[in-house]
Amino acid sequence: MSTSTPNARGRRSPFGTATPSGETTLTGLQRLPIHTRYPLTPSRLVTATTPGTQRSASRYTPRPRGVGAPATPHVIRARQQRAANTPGRDRRRSGRVQRETTFDILRNLGKALAPVSQPIRSSPQEKPEPIEEPIDEFEQLDNEPEIERPRLSLPIQESEEEGDEVSPEMNPPRMSLAFAEEDMDMTYRSVEYPRDASVRDRDRLSMMSRATGRISGDFDETRLESDDADETGIVGEDDEAEDTMMSGGDFDRGGETEDLGRFHFDLNFPSPAAAPLEYPADEDMNDMEGFELSTAEQPQAPSDDDDDDVGGDFGFGLEFPPAASPSESPGIVGGGLRDEAIPAQRKQKKISRHGIPVPNLPAGVVKKLATRFARSGAGSRAKINKATLAAIEQASSWYFEQASQDLAAYSKHAGRKTIDESDVTTLLRRQRHINKTTTVFSLAQKHLPKELQQDMRLSMPP
Amino acid sequence: MAAAQKLYPRGTVKRIVKAHSNRSVSKNADILIFLDYMLFMQELMREASIQSRKSGEKNISANTVRKVTEKTLRKFQG
Repeated sequence: MSTSTPNARGRRSPFGTATPSGETTLTGLQRLPIHTRYPLTPSRLVTATTPGTQRSASRYTPRPRGVGAPATPHVIRARQQRAANTPGRDRRRSGRVQRETTFDILRNLGKALAPVSQPIRSSPQEKPEPIEEPIDEFEQLDNEPEIERPRLSLPIQESEEEGDEVSPEMNPPRMSLAFAEEDMDMTYRSVEYPRDASVRDRDRLSMMSRATGRISGDFDETRLESDDADETGIVGEDDEAEDTMMSGGDFDRGGETEDLGRFHFDLNFPSPAAAPLEYPADEDMNDMEGFELSTAEQPQAPSDDDDDDVGGDFGFGLEFPPAASPSESPGIVGGGLRDEAIPAQRKQKKISRHGIPVPNLPAGVVKKLATRFARSGAGSRAKINKATLAAIEQASSWYFEQASQDLAAYSKHAGRKTIDESDVTTLLRRQRHINKTTTVFSLAQKHLPKELQQDMRLSMPP
Repeated sequence: MAAAQKLYPRGTVKRIVKAHSNRSVSKNADILIFLDYMLFMQELMREASIQSRKSGEKNISANTVRKVTEKTLRKFQG
């Protein structure tokens, strides 16, 4: 560096400064003339002398070549051409050079402005005081919205509810539950609920009514949950098909709202504890109420059984009748609807709404799938008992009903008589299983064995 | 995976869909339908296992499945 300074002072200062840089003569040409020809001035000298400006070892490295300083532009030109012939070196060097030029320019500028920069330094020293205050304000501001946010978007409450697991079945929470979960699909879908709510509810109602008709055998299990005996089920099945259906419907509806019932029960549990002395009287009273309610609505054998069971447990005596009465009314409605679906009540041979007998998916297949997915969900516990399997089968038969109705709608819309692959693809897309990133094929690859994949590929255009 | 010699009875699935929709099902569409069904089962069991875990059960009970069924079915509405 010290060598360069005298050069810079000399007449050929531009090239002189360039010489130590050797191969960076290019930059010397591009940059230095502008800078240096004006400034033979001390400022330029300063910049040249300061080691920072001439930063980079690259300026020194080319030394061996640049020893003979290119005095004339011709020489420089020749050097450049030679460098162009050896592209590798040129590239490397040019990269460096370009980087350095910008840096150097900025650095020179910085040096030139060095006296000005001192006051700038002083200003931040003044600033810290005001900065501290804003920091506090920011913290305050940050604190405030963070407190409010959870209130606005329910997910946290929802997660609490999940933790409590008190009322898992309420509808409004479900939306935020979907948000809480990671799947985007679910959020979209749940957001879309309200739009189709009316239509879907209608469908669902009909489905539930038919479904209840089908479950009629299953409600034993539901009732086990509420400490009710199996007697009703047995009696009903033995006695009259119609009445069983009614009662079955009722209890299935109860099964839907059963959690609500339990919920109330839990809430009001303290009340009998608060008045333990009056407990027998209460029990009688409640029994009486239960009798009145149920006899008023249904003077049938199953209701009597119900009341007996209720009498057995005073907790349910307190809360079950109110929970059951609302659930009974839809049950009756369902009974009204069920007249259409009466042919569907036999368990083995269900009949679709089109009057075609529906076969069941073999239990083995369902069980295999269920165990597989249950296992993937949670470690080693993959036990699925009979009741669970029955519930899963029920769910899958509902699923097939729903899916095939959707598929029929799609194919009808397309003006086709048959359900096509494209219809199923549409269904998958509308279920958000297929999107930009996932195709049918990737899904199939994930889930289906190869032979089926092959068949699928054959039938589908890519 | 479940690459047993037979994953599911294709004829049965076809007949189920055919009965519910009153439409014929094209030759290989049942594969896709079953694929969707598998996704449904996966979702159902996932939800059920979550639910059962929350309620502290060791195994998935029938009631849990029943609770989760409607939610899952609604998710799979096309």
